[in-house]
Amino acid sequence: MNELFLPLAVGCAVALVSGLLVVLARRPVHAVVALLGHTLSLAALYLILGADMVAMGQVLIYSGAIVVLFLFVVALLPQGGSEGPPGMGRALGAIVAGAALLGAIAAWLTVGPALPPTAATAGGGVVELGRSLFRQLLVPFELTAPLLLVAIVGAVSIWRRQERMP
Amino acid sequence: MTAESLVLITSVALLAIGAAGVLVRRNPIAMLMSVELMLNAANLLLVLAARVRGNVDGQAAALIVLVLAAAEAVIGLGVALALFRDRERADVDEPAEVRG
Repeated sequence: MNELFLPLAVGCAVALVSGLLVVLARRPVHAVVALLGHTLSLAALYLILGADMVAMGQVLIYSGAIVVLFLFVVALLPQGGSEGPPGMGRALGAIVAGAALLGAIAAWLTVGPALPPTAATAGGGVVELGRSLFRQLLVPFELTAPLLLVAIVGAVSIWRRQERMP
Repeated sequence: MTAESLVLITSVALLAIGAAGVLVRRNPIAMLMSVELMLNAANLLLVLAARVRGNVDGQAAALIVLVLAAAEAVIGLGVALALFRDRERADVDEPAEVRG
């Protein structure tokens, strides 16, 4: 898989920089645009890794639906949702927590078992993916339908209650 | 460094960035976006594992995580909008009715 190193490195760099921009951008609109770039760079990574279907889902669901939803909410909030500056203690806590998480996972990666040798070819295409979805993962896959329904009904009911209250 | 470990390290770093973002930001929208970063990091790891094993089960799981992320975003944004629509600033430290 090492012949793919260069495209993967470019994709990883874009994903990391745009991810940092999402967290660091002061204005929510800028963060949403950075999130759009982040999702697209991850879709490119999935394509390079041979996961065509997941890449397409990423573009459709993340870049198409979720990022647009975020844009709508930023537009609906007063002043685009401004916030106070992060306190010193909060920033310090976040840095310590992030570094601790990074250190713990890095330690586990060095101590834990090594990656198995990579398969020569990527797994099959859409047909094999569908077989996996409808056999091993049938129950979670079917449960996503009621989950989405509950999410829709929940979002509408939260909004309706808010409408009646003011 | 092999290509696999490069993607692995990227995924871990994205998870840490997202976790730090959830902690440091006070804007509910920005916090939700940081959660999305963490979900994306986990998804990247799933797809990498599927590639390493030459097995599509990881890709199928990544698809299900995508749907979960959509549901999470809908509910989270709905709550954020209901709470902060009439406020001057969107800041999770401000609403007094959120007590945990």
